[in-house]
Amino acid sequence: MDDYSANAGSVDRWSPPAEEQSAFGFHGTWREFAPIAFTNLLLIVVTLGIYRFWAKARERQYLWSRTRFIDERLEWTGTGKELFVGGLLVLALFLIPYFIATQVGQAMILRGEKVIGAILFVVPLVAIFYLMGVARFRAIRYRLGRTNWRGIRGGSDVRGFKYGWSYMWKTIAGYAAFGLGVPWSMVSLWNERWRAMSFGPMEFRCSADFSPLMKRYMLFYLSPFIAIVGIVAIIAAMAFGLQRDGGFDPENPSIGFFAAFIVASLLFYFVLGFVWLAYYAKFFRVVVGHMELGGLEFEFDAKTWDWIKLGLGDVALLVLTLGLGFVFLGYRHWKFFVTHMQAYGEINVDDLTQSTTRRDKHGEGLLDAFDMGAI
Amino acid sequence: MEHASVPAFWYDGQTARRHEGTVEWSGGNDLRLRGHDGSLINVPLADLVFVERGVMDGSYSRKADDGFRLAFTGTVPDALAARLPGGQKFGKWIDGLGLPKAAVLFAGISAALLAIVLTAPTWLGPRVPPSWERKIGDAMLGDMGNRLCHTPESDAALKKLVERLDPDRPITRVGIANIDMVNAVALPGGQVLVFDGLIQESENPDELAGVIGHEIGHVRERHVMQALLRQFGLSVLLGGINSDIGSGIFGVAAMSYSRDAEREADTFSASQLERSNISPKGTADFFEYLKEESGGEGQEWAGWIASHPMPKEREEMFRKAVVKGHAYTPALNKQEYTAIRDACTNDPDVEEFDIF
Repeated sequence: MDDYSANAGSVDRWSPPAEEQSAFGFHGTWREFAPIAFTNLLLIVVTLGIYRFWAKARERQYLWSRTRFIDERLEWTGTGKELFVGGLLVLALFLIPYFIATQVGQAMILRGEKVIGAILFVVPLVAIFYLMGVARFRAIRYRLGRTNWRGIRGGSDVRGFKYGWSYMWKTIAGYAAFGLGVPWSMVSLWNERWRAMSFGPMEFRCSADFSPLMKRYMLFYLSPFIAIVGIVAIIAAMAFGLQRDGGFDPENPSIGFFAAFIVASLLFYFVLGFVWLAYYAKFFRVVVGHMELGGLEFEFDAKTWDWIKLGLGDVALLVLTLGLGFVFLGYRHWKFFVTHMQAYGEINVDDLTQSTTRRDKHGEGLLDAFDMGAI
Repeated sequence: MEHASVPAFWYDGQTARRHEGTVEWSGGNDLRLRGHDGSLINVPLADLVFVERGVMDGSYSRKADDGFRLAFTGTVPDALAARLPGGQKFGKWIDGLGLPKAAVLFAGISAALLAIVLTAPTWLGPRVPPSWERKIGDAMLGDMGNRLCHTPESDAALKKLVERLDPDRPITRVGIANIDMVNAVALPGGQVLVFDGLIQESENPDELAGVIGHEIGHVRERHVMQALLRQFGLSVLLGGINSDIGSGIFGVAAMSYSRDAEREADTFSASQLERSNISPKGTADFFEYLKEESGGEGQEWAGWIASHPMPKEREEMFRKAVVKGHAYTPALNKQEYTAIRDACTNDPDVEEFDIF
């Protein structure tokens, strides 16, 4: 397992191997991870959740150390303390002002000051919207800044405040045209945030185009209409059929009728979820497929079915463990991400010098508060 | 003097090039990293920090440069190993205590905190001065604007009823809310609202007296303050400050008191009725009416009943309190009762109460 002991130190240039070995590899095992997961769970419970910042750092330390890129492992250099500080910052700068604004807003509305009250409600919501964009940007920046490979880290020279505005207007524009612009806004935002990122001295390039996504997006977009028409037809047919048997009374439908209706509705959301995953799988393949770093090109090869398996596995894990299995979700997602990630091209280790980007002393507090993923 | 030479590799934190060579140590405070490529780095032992590279091995970084990595590939002699820094596993405090002790300690602290937060409303609530409660309530709710129904006659009638029921009350105010639901609530700051829907369903002023007495009881027994504290404490404790606390007042408005609290409020109501010589029969009739109505499904007061003791039990309580042959005074005279019934229709500038 000590794959770093290959004679990489004596070569100047390192080309990723032929197809049989991916540039990315994950060699953790859940047995090895279990002691980390269970002690994290224990400490999270006894500290009423405060330990989760340290738990996250320990989890990432393990996952990164079990992830190989070319010939060397990744290393997570972030700490629980800085995530905790990030969490406190969010509490002080955001959650408490938000709480006060909404309380005062309610009081104003109750006093009949509807305009002031409405402003106090709307302004924090707009602020959340803006900060969600900033948070997503900063989480990627934070994670790159805490990821070492051969002693070199990544980061970004900008702090994401401008990206927050892009996030707002592109998201609104995407939804404005009856939601038809969503693929455009997702791809455009992805390009924008990754173009601001770097690893060592090299900047990420990303120039994905949204048009290959439109076919699957239209499938997702139109499926509710198709499904509703289908369900209405089925229910009508059933009602009609039952009536002919003389058993259906529209004023007093049978339990079977309701059951069929509920099953149909559940199926509707289930299928809609799958159709969305089909779109999302394609989205991820397209955007990652257009990413470059120095002489490296990236690729993500997870198909729709892989995403469905991931999702169903997550649900099964949570249900079977009554929710306690959440401590394994990070492991599953990271493994999924790494095993489907590919890179091609070459990298010159002497050109890969230390990043000069600035690092904040606090972690991804905002993102944590909004409970979003980084990528 | 100890002397060691251990094979190792390192990254200097400046480029991604991997250096292989030996680490030389002559028992002093420095390590010399001599690379096969002829490079030489001097690293003070005090500058090293341990970083986890995986379960199999650890490596060392430098305080001055967190890109620097040193990993031994040969056996480190004990004398040198003793000088190398150790790592953290769970975090500084927990490592210092050991996991089991730390877990027990944290669990103890958490349990104590939980106990304080969960019991605080009960012992702290009654100790909050009523004037503070009034200020908190006013800050949260204000004067309700024009959502309360007022006519000079209804105000006078309501004032008379409340004065009769509880002349000593420190902060309670009673208003008629322009909401077409069979309900009454006690809000923070001693603000009792009787919904117009309930007034329209009532048949005589004695029924109203019982219901208003019940809500005043919630304020007097400090249930409202307790519920406020409980809600605030739980939302802080559960870290849910970002989720639902925004709906604070609505939560308080909809908050359910425990059944014990409801009984306390009923007892208060009954004793105030007796004190002010109002017959509890009207209240008993009202609960009988609720009991019958709640047999059907989907009634608008179903929610109100759910958090309250069964109407049957309450009806019996008030029914038993009726003294046969006693000459009770009606809670209000006919004109006054009519003024209250018509308050919402006759108030020219009343607004829709749309927050609930």
